[in-house]
Amino acid sequence: MAYNNVEIRERRPLSNARLGVLVLLGAETMLFSGLIGTFLVFRIGNVTWPPPSHIGIELPRVVTGINTALLLLSGYTMFQAWRAIRNDKVKQLRNWLLLTGVLGLLFLGVQGSEWVQLIRNGLTLQSGIYGGIFYVLIGCHAVHVLSAVIWVFIVFGLAMAGRFSAERYSGVDTCAIYWIFVVALWPILYVLVYLS
Amino acid sequence: MYRFFLWASILICIMLIVPMSVEACPGCKNLDDPIGKGFNWSILFLMAMPFTVFTLIGGTIFLHYRRENR
Repeated sequence: MAYNNVEIRERRPLSNARLGVLVLLGAETMLFSGLIGTFLVFRIGNVTWPPPSHIGIELPRVVTGINTALLLLSGYTMFQAWRAIRNDKVKQLRNWLLLTGVLGLLFLGVQGSEWVQLIRNGLTLQSGIYGGIFYVLIGCHAVHVLSAVIWVFIVFGLAMAGRFSAERYSGVDTCAIYWIFVVALWPILYVLVYLS
Repeated sequence: MYRFFLWASILICIMLIVPMSVEACPGCKNLDDPIGKGFNWSILFLMAMPFTVFTLIGGTIFLHYRRENR
């Protein structure tokens, strides 16, 4: 804004990018709330869980617990990446981003192998409400982790090209917010689906 | 304003005293039925979520503005 030949730059307390991601996360929260609400109806509505038709099928609680720890660790590495770019340490940013992406891929790999095992044991999307709600809820989260991993690698590529600095890092910022959301969501789903 | 809060408080007290009339799901009053229980918890959870989302987003915006204006 020009005022008496003096350039006054409007400073926004919250950047458009951050606001956009916050609105996106609001929508994502409502999506997962709907799915969790559905799960609650089935879970509380059934006295025996898993239902009698799935009594022999055990969800891999221990392996998924370790996988949860991996994902939480990736949240820490993403936070370190965000801190690194705030301190203008671009090389550290690259390393932390790469580690975050690899941990995300590892999480998806372990979950994929679990799914293969569960499908072999007879738990499929069509095998009833137990299989249906399990694959929809966990699968929806997995799709989000996959998209977050793709986003992290795009940001990593941009970091390699030297596109970020301590003054300009909204790309890292938005990616970190989304990643932390995806990571924070998983323990809730783990407790609900695997441990309840 | 005082009268508004007074009447709102009285209304809330009445609602708390007569909980049957404020069950989340009018169709599932029988709480011994597991499906009814499931619907009740689900509705309560879903009812709380929009408020949580708006509070979090609004709170974040408010905090950013306050920090900037300090």
